[in-house]
Amino acid sequence: MRRRAWTAAVVVSVALIGSTVITQNPAGQNQTAGAAVKSVGRGAPSVHARDFQPLGPNAFGGRGRGAGRGGGGPVVFNGSARDGATPPGIEPLKIDIFTSKDFYKDRALWSDKRYFRCNSGAALEAQWGGNGVEIIGPNGPATAAWGHCDRDMPRSALVSPYAFKTAQAHYEALMAEAKSRGGPTQHTYATVPGEWTGRYARPASQGNDTWFFMQKVQISTVLSLLTPEYQTRAVQEHYHQGNTNVAHWPSQYCWPEGFLRRWHQAAVGEHQIIVTPQLVQIMTGIARNFVTNIYVGRQFNLEGAVPRLGADVPRWYGETIGFWDGDALITWTSNVQGWKTHAAFEHSNKMQSIEIYTPNRDENGRLTGLTHEAILYDPEAFVEPLRIVRNLNKASGPETGDPHTYIECVQTIYPVNGKGTPLSPGATFQYEVLDMFGRPWAKLWERYEKNMEKPVNEDLFDFSKNK
Amino acid sequence: MKTFSTSARTSNRRARQVACGALVVAAAVAVMVPSLRAHHSFSMYDASKTRVFTGVVVRVNPDVNHLQIFFAVMNEERTNVLRDQKGQPIIWAVEMAGSAQSAREGISVNAFPPKTIMSVALHPLRSGEPAGDRGQSPLFKCPVNTPPKPGKHCDSVEGHVVIGTGQLPTPTS
Repeated sequence: MRRRAWTAAVVVSVALIGSTVITQNPAGQNQTAGAAVKSVGRGAPSVHARDFQPLGPNAFGGRGRGAGRGGGGPVVFNGSARDGATPPGIEPLKIDIFTSKDFYKDRALWSDKRYFRCNSGAALEAQWGGNGVEIIGPNGPATAAWGHCDRDMPRSALVSPYAFKTAQAHYEALMAEAKSRGGPTQHTYATVPGEWTGRYARPASQGNDTWFFMQKVQISTVLSLLTPEYQTRAVQEHYHQGNTNVAHWPSQYCWPEGFLRRWHQAAVGEHQIIVTPQLVQIMTGIARNFVTNIYVGRQFNLEGAVPRLGADVPRWYGETIGFWDGDALITWTSNVQGWKTHAAFEHSNKMQSIEIYTPNRDENGRLTGLTHEAILYDPEAFVEPLRIVRNLNKASGPETGDPHTYIECVQTIYPVNGKGTPLSPGATFQYEVLDMFGRPWAKLWERYEKNMEKPVNEDLFDFSKNK
Repeated sequence: MKTFSTSARTSNRRARQVACGALVVAAAVAVMVPSLRAHHSFSMYDASKTRVFTGVVVRVNPDVNHLQIFFAVMNEERTNVLRDQKGQPIIWAVEMAGSAQSAREGISVNAFPPKTIMSVALHPLRSGEPAGDRGQSPLFKCPVNTPPKPGKHCDSVEGHVVIGTGQLPTPTS
């Protein structure tokens, strides 16, 4: 028995050579460092968004144009220039996203942050007042404001630090680690960490933000994560949010939020977690419901286009399996429906994630929350895997607080002439039925791309050469 | 006063048994049908009419309640698709069971990517709009990039895949 234990220890040691030495709480705030864990696929040190400043441009306070909600005091502008001015020391490009007549032709400029006037994705979508604060300038997009060109998060903070090319390889490596430690841990109702069950505060505040909030990263840096097709899609959205002022945020039409919005501050509120030996459920949402069911101990069917649990039907939020490795819950999500996250980028049906939940504790050992580390794999959309690390800070058990709200979205905004428009009862308009699984937002934007030279897609219908 | 002979009573009993049996079957069907089609009434479709198409898939809409395939109708030569006066492909929609049930049959986003050539029979909308209900008809998928010969359907192409049983029905006039 003792010899077997020693053999296992040696195997583990060899297997973990070259792996990172980390704590279990890389992004935790209110926790003491957990026991050191060696892993090839979780817990690597992360760069925190809280250590960076928002790029802007945006404004707070004041009244009227350039003012913010809840204003009244002096306007505070966060940016480097506005109303047509140029930031000191910055030579603007002759054409940028705010002046271009055809952004498709500008691809060579997309990697230059000046093309976006150093706006963050979140700030660019707010130029016309997308978040209640209009700073576009007196002459429309030509006078759009500039963000801070000297601010950015390093690209390395956005990508996975691990060597895995696929979610499957990542999951299998973490499973191998768990087995080398005698796992995966098999829980009963007597041993499952029931203290996880409860309410977790909305992960939205500064200090608990992530790069995916799109406030602290240059758009050109974000684009460097994407494949050419998905770069084009992202720039198309930025163009219409910043230039033509045609924003299509999915939930404004009661469309689905999409898988990646789970990580966006505006899409999720309080999280409610229920832990059982065979199923862990995480519920959250603001405009739509996000329900993540983690089926502990189950296996994916690997025979289809992507791994899945159920029928060969892409699911809006995928299907998730997982296992316990000690006090860490490790999950794999696949079979996700492609969609978009506005101000960020689109993802494809090939999206998969590896997510690791580890407990954070205070000096008395009391659970204060969970560190949620996610590694995102999408070989169609991303040039390499991405990583988001955040905290879910526990607010209480289920014995207190508001109950979870199941959301039903009732549509009040409609795409009238391709633009989102609130309509009153009795109003009528001509409605074009959209291809909901074929980038419906892009179809609406096409109305505002009349003279652009769009990339030509494959001709689906010509079979004359096949006869 | 009305009287019944023994044979008449026996006949009546049989009739009642048959009626009871029919009721049981009807009840069973009534229970089953809503489970398949609980999302909306299918009375919009004209089940007395059948149309048969060969078309090119442009999108599979994997809705939970009823999967739909949108397809462009092929021309008689099977070289391209029919187009309207503006030159746009004429798109039809065919509605089926829920996406999970359809996937178990072999009909899914992954199994029917855009450009797939397929043949399907459907009961069209009473309104004349280009959509219909597949009903119980089989669906035939041509091999990749292999359209049928002029005027033919995928069931005539070697290597086709059939989903469901039977043959393509004869279209009504």
